[in-house]
Amino acid sequence: MKTKKIVSLILASMLAVSSFAACSTKPTDTQSSGTGEPAQTGDGKEIVDFTMFAAMAGKEKNEGNDIMELIAEKTGVRVKETWLTGQDAGEAIGSIIASGKLPDLIDGGDGSVTLYQNGLLVAWDDYLEKYPNLKEMYTDEEWDKFRMDDGHIYWANVFGNSYDHNTATGHNGEAFWIQVRVLEWANYPKIQTLDEYFKLLEDYAAANPELPDGTPVIPYTCLCEDWKYYCLENAPMFLDGYPNDGCCIVNIDAGMDNPKVVDYNTTDTAKMYFKKLNEEYAKGAIDPDFATQTYDEYIAKLSTGRVLGLCDQYWDFAYNIMGPFASPLEATDGTTFRLDELGCDYVPLGLTAKPGMSQQWHSYDDELNQSSGCAVTTSCKDPDLAFAFLSALLDQDIHDLRFWGIEGVDYLVDDQGLYYRTEEMRENWKSDSYKAKHTCEYSYCPQWMGMSKDGINRMQPSEQPSEFYEGLAEPLKKCFAAYGAQTYSEFLGSEIVVNAPWYPLWSWSNNISSDTPGGIAWKRMGEVKHLWLPTVVMSSDFESDWASYQAAYAECDPQAFLDEAQAEVNKRLETAKSYGWTAPV
Amino acid sequence: MENSIVKSKRVKEVDINKPKLTAKEFKRQWILVAISAVYVIYGIIFYYLPLAGWIIAFQNFVFAKGIGGSKWVGIDKFKFLFSDKTFLMVIRNTFVMGVLNLFFSTIVAIAFAILLNEVRNKYFKKSIQTISYMPHFLSWIIVVAIVHDALTSTGIINDILLRLGILKAPYAFLGDPKLFWGIVTLSHLWKETGWNAIIYLAAITSIDPCLYESASIDGAGRFQKMRYVTLPGLRPTIMILLLMNMGNVLNAGFELQYLLGNGLVQNVSRTIDIYILDWALDARNMDYSLGTAAGIFKTVVSMTFIVVSNYIAKKKGDERLF
Repeated sequence: MKTKKIVSLILASMLAVSSFAACSTKPTDTQSSGTGEPAQTGDGKEIVDFTMFAAMAGKEKNEGNDIMELIAEKTGVRVKETWLTGQDAGEAIGSIIASGKLPDLIDGGDGSVTLYQNGLLVAWDDYLEKYPNLKEMYTDEEWDKFRMDDGHIYWANVFGNSYDHNTATGHNGEAFWIQVRVLEWANYPKIQTLDEYFKLLEDYAAANPELPDGTPVIPYTCLCEDWKYYCLENAPMFLDGYPNDGCCIVNIDAGMDNPKVVDYNTTDTAKMYFKKLNEEYAKGAIDPDFATQTYDEYIAKLSTGRVLGLCDQYWDFAYNIMGPFASPLEATDGTTFRLDELGCDYVPLGLTAKPGMSQQWHSYDDELNQSSGCAVTTSCKDPDLAFAFLSALLDQDIHDLRFWGIEGVDYLVDDQGLYYRTEEMRENWKSDSYKAKHTCEYSYCPQWMGMSKDGINRMQPSEQPSEFYEGLAEPLKKCFAAYGAQTYSEFLGSEIVVNAPWYPLWSWSNNISSDTPGGIAWKRMGEVKHLWLPTVVMSSDFESDWASYQAAYAECDPQAFLDEAQAEVNKRLETAKSYGWTAPV
Repeated sequence: MENSIVKSKRVKEVDINKPKLTAKEFKRQWILVAISAVYVIYGIIFYYLPLAGWIIAFQNFVFAKGIGGSKWVGIDKFKFLFSDKTFLMVIRNTFVMGVLNLFFSTIVAIAFAILLNEVRNKYFKKSIQTISYMPHFLSWIIVVAIVHDALTSTGIINDILLRLGILKAPYAFLGDPKLFWGIVTLSHLWKETGWNAIIYLAAITSIDPCLYESASIDGAGRFQKMRYVTLPGLRPTIMILLLMNMGNVLNAGFELQYLLGNGLVQNVSRTIDIYILDWALDARNMDYSLGTAAGIFKTVVSMTFIVVSNYIAKKKGDERLF
């Protein structure tokens, strides 16, 4: 763990330093011409090696990974994926552009538009017609949302896109999470407000100050690093019952036809929320390092099971702690235990400002994020092959290989055709080392959620109801049963609504550039909040610091940003209307 | 009258030392000329030609359009810089951290060198010296990881202070803007003191031992010898190093501040280099022009520092660079 951290830090610094010096550095992804003997596909063609960079933290696969080789044999392409280390997406993409050395495939995250503006991406339009697998991913209306100002499509978002219909069992979004053992200890109470939530965390920590291995518990922590400070920042939006538009509230009290953008940073709920955090910090219930911890430190902390509660989006922490939670640890009395069996798994709570309010922490429909996605760069020598590969990844047999694995090794099929896994297979798929040498999801390439094309299974095992339930640790099952829920989304109990045509607005704000007054305001607002939000939480004089914060915030001219957000909402509404959308009655 | 004699004398001196550049002389020294030409060409290619890139500071430079196609905006970028409160703040931060670093690293390195020089036991002296310059070979990223670990709520510093009863609860050192400059300066000292002391140690060994002997005969004690022999003997070295480092004041750092910084301390942690990274190389801004403008500012200020301090040194009759 430690060495890995240091290595990743070194890599991060190398990238950071080299990007600053802007000299000709080798980014992590150079064109690899293949190593050793050129391998061959089944029909004797040579396998082509591509590189891919995703502007997200991730884990690299080992060379000679089993399923990667299988896919290479079928498609003639092997992709070496590299990930973000230490930097944020914008800086990484910025330095890749400056160095001029691009990978063949890229998911530029927040830097996607810049890649397009610099003319570094290959348009999808012609290939969409050629490869129906790719075209099938979205409807024409949805594809149109990906079109840039030159009328072409340069990337496709690969996430949260369901085949047939949405079958989500999980909650991938944000919530106040709590370990199931805390709920179990309190005999599964109904928790609706921040007051109840923190009271329970404190009571539990007072009664159970240590894990069996002697690690002291931390009632609550919160990540504030870089853009992931949303963990601290945007809860007031959800607490007021609104969905994750990310950069503001879109109020529809005057009807869906007349949406109005509202700032959630200045609401009474915002003040109430930060005041609550301030009180809890003073009581010692909040991790004293919350404001200075790095993402690595945060994950390391969560992996020990000592954090009872947190606010975050599922994808940001859950995949990284699965491995450690499933590994045996030694208790002080010499016995072994596992964190998932102890009930350290987290469940999401849909807290609201006042008890009994409806909330939209969970979004039931697919969220279309057109602001970034999988793209082919102009450095790719054979773009047609790249698109053919992306298309082949959506063939059901290869898709199954990516997410289910090899039949007989990673999953079994019963006589109804239903896929299932044994306990051992499930454990394998939680293990980081097994995943590095055996599984190959190509997780930032096109993929499906929802129903499999066979009509029986799900595209991904996490959504297979039987698999999902069997895969849960015992304390989680008991917890779900106690609340009468089958899935995370049922557990969270969000209001079932159809996504508004402008939703999610963060797909706009993520890509806002600092060329306009609104863009500059957005950058400044971010800087002010990065400074002031942790400050007010740690303050010994909340009221006066809150007033200073609000004054500093007002100086950034948030109205300029809100005006542009309003314009974007109106624009999206008009587009939807032009496709025949009407306001529900 | 007298003045002119002095002048003419000086001209003569120069004449003696410096032969005129004639074809014959050139031919005679052609090997030397050829050798130095390599460095001149190197300098032109790698230091002077890239300066042409400064031109983009006066454009709204877009990668795809290139220098030819980008729009000219005059000094707009500089106007933006100096109207941007953040830029004024990062100048302050860079300057303060640079000066703190220069001041303390010089003083501490000299003190360390003198003290080490007084150590009689050769083996003890050598091992201390080796141990103390080891951290120089660590990259900043490792140093930051160590500092970060040491200063968290469960880190060694909090642990010691809690056990000694000085603190009642762990203190978030890294989140306190008042401490940030101190932490940066101390990290620099920890990493570089041993290394910086080497050059002073070398300078001390070149001081004529006769001076120490005669000082002893005059009845000087150890401290008096340090004060009246060692320090004056080090003076030329100190001056040259100070002058050279003056140009580096605005290079107060990047990695350390970048990696150690967080939201709470952003107003004291960000340096010019971080500002440039943020505006020029972050894909969300990608304003190469603004970054170049900030870079030009930095270069001009650094040059001014060197020239002015060199001038002052000249006036005071001390050692100087040029």
